[in-house]
Amino acid sequence: MLKNLKQHTKKLTITALAGLTALSLVGCNENEKTGDSVTSEEKVKVSLYSTGSLNVQNFWEEVIPLFEQENENIDVELVFLPAGQGGQSTMDRLLAAKKANKDSGVDIYEGGLEDAIRGEEENLFEKLDESNIENIKNIEENNMKGTQNLAIPYRASAVVLAYNSDNVKEVPDTPEDLYKWIENHPGKFAYNDPTTGGSGSSFVISTIYNQLPAEAMNIQDESIMKDWDKGFEILNDLEPYLYQEGVYPKKNQGTLDLLANGEVDMVPAWSDMALEQMNNKLLPENTKLKQINPGFTGGPAYLMVPADNDEQEKEAAQEFVNYALTPEVQKVVIEKMYGFPGIKWGLLDEELQLEFESVSGKYRLFNGGTLGEELNKRWQKEIAN
Amino acid sequence: MIAKKQKLLGIAMVLPSFLSLIILVVWPVFISIKQSFQNEENQFTWDNYKYVLTDPMMVNNFKYTMLVTLISCVLVLIISYALAAYLRFSNSWFSKVISRLYFIPMFIPGIIAIYGFINMYRDNGWIARFIGSENMPSFVYDIKGLVLMNLWFNIPFTTMLLLSALSAIPGSVIESARDVGAKKLTIFFKFILPLSYNTLLVALTFAFMGIVGSFTAPYLIDKNAPQMLGVSMQQHFSVYHELGQSSSIAVILFLMCAVVGFIYIKNMMKNESHS
Repeated sequence: MLKNLKQHTKKLTITALAGLTALSLVGCNENEKTGDSVTSEEKVKVSLYSTGSLNVQNFWEEVIPLFEQENENIDVELVFLPAGQGGQSTMDRLLAAKKANKDSGVDIYEGGLEDAIRGEEENLFEKLDESNIENIKNIEENNMKGTQNLAIPYRASAVVLAYNSDNVKEVPDTPEDLYKWIENHPGKFAYNDPTTGGSGSSFVISTIYNQLPAEAMNIQDESIMKDWDKGFEILNDLEPYLYQEGVYPKKNQGTLDLLANGEVDMVPAWSDMALEQMNNKLLPENTKLKQINPGFTGGPAYLMVPADNDEQEKEAAQEFVNYALTPEVQKVVIEKMYGFPGIKWGLLDEELQLEFESVSGKYRLFNGGTLGEELNKRWQKEIAN
Repeated sequence: MIAKKQKLLGIAMVLPSFLSLIILVVWPVFISIKQSFQNEENQFTWDNYKYVLTDPMMVNNFKYTMLVTLISCVLVLIISYALAAYLRFSNSWFSKVISRLYFIPMFIPGIIAIYGFINMYRDNGWIARFIGSENMPSFVYDIKGLVLMNLWFNIPFTTMLLLSALSAIPGSVIESARDVGAKKLTIFFKFILPLSYNTLLVALTFAFMGIVGSFTAPYLIDKNAPQMLGVSMQQHFSVYHELGQSSSIAVILFLMCAVVGFIYIKNMMKNESHS
């Protein structure tokens, strides 16, 4: 056995060595590649940095080849960072490159509005308007508000209630109805840990800001934090009636799994994730979605073009953003991603518009910037315990 | 000439691991330590450590991490030792089968094992279907589940270590002790345990370090609070974006492992000077 162990260690060491060597080789390779793109003139290479759940990655993997077919001289490389695994680092990278006056290597960036706002002071992103991106005229004007033309809302999604229609007969219409439903059906509702996924976070934010005037969602001043008490009280009161008297599964998928295996009957979920999984039969057929009124938060996803690109990259990046706003890509948004289109509904087929009636109720936009982090911290301290 | 070549070859073989150690481990550790003493404006501060060591939530997280680690380590050592002793001293067909099967968990990717575990033990999982969900204690989203998962991850390797130590004890020692009339318990405490004590310590070190810094299992199986330090560290880093605080958690975690490592090395040196 001892001999065996020795052999094992030997094998392990060799494998580890081989792995490391391979790693360092890959490293070299990458360097070569980037070096290449600077010298070769016929093909422009741009990197798209994006984050989110798997459906976002699948979406880009569908769209990028379509784009490259139409624009043979542009090569788009997708750098995808799954949600909660350092998406923030892309912003840090951009900021660091700006300070050092270097090219960040990020040519197109998909992120939230808070990133665009954070980048504004540093002039991180390029202004985009109809002169460089023609299809901006297709965008729903409401969504362009607050972007200062630094970010293009190319799609949107919202958090809705997903429920088991066999067990839930009286579907709540308002947040108050929902809280009553939860109390009357102990253990049958779950929202995920808001620090790990947007749907739980939306439930928490909506609950807290429903107790405040509607404009409060746009306040980024810390003085509003003391007004959160009432909402936190509601969350605390709800806890004994939640799944396992207050277990908050990790990630958006965590609660959807509970719904799928029948442990709970109702969860807040991203409309796009839920629709996609219903379509792939990952959620049972009795699953239905509904937006309550006032709605949960949701919002657009934005494309930004960093200002540190050279002329060629800039044009290619703009071309790509423009392409994302064409009806063809928007159809992919709807059909493959089950997201809301970023362009006016009127520009799309009527059939597609009908499909979305159940969830297209009005979602709200939380624009509290870094207050979201403070909210998470307080949730972890007061509710998770 | 040949000697020189061999020397160069030796260096060439060591270099990749040495360089990767410097680039992938030493350098990031250095950055973390530096960051743990910095505030957002990159100025020197003790605030991160003050927060990590005094905030009630963090103190609870520390206590909880130690609790989970200790329970898991003790259980792992007891179970593995019993298993290894059985495999060493029994010649039955059953022990032969087990000796070929016990390390299978090492070849199952962690995340798959965890999801399998969740499906098996969740409140309406496979086991609950057999025994009825009202008889089923909660394992998932509970410390019980986390400890069970740690057993799954640590028993095979620990057993392997202990088994090699027990196999190294010559059968003649035990037989001669038995011949002069030593009882089984006496043989165990006077011969077997002392002769495998060092390996036990090695196994404890490995189990401790693996469990204290674990992330995936507590992230997916455990409840929301208190948290294991690995989970809390990730939360401070990528949810709150508190680089300094997460770095100081990392440094403290590192120190905890260093203490255990120190005890282990000290013991090793003591033994070497004895022999």
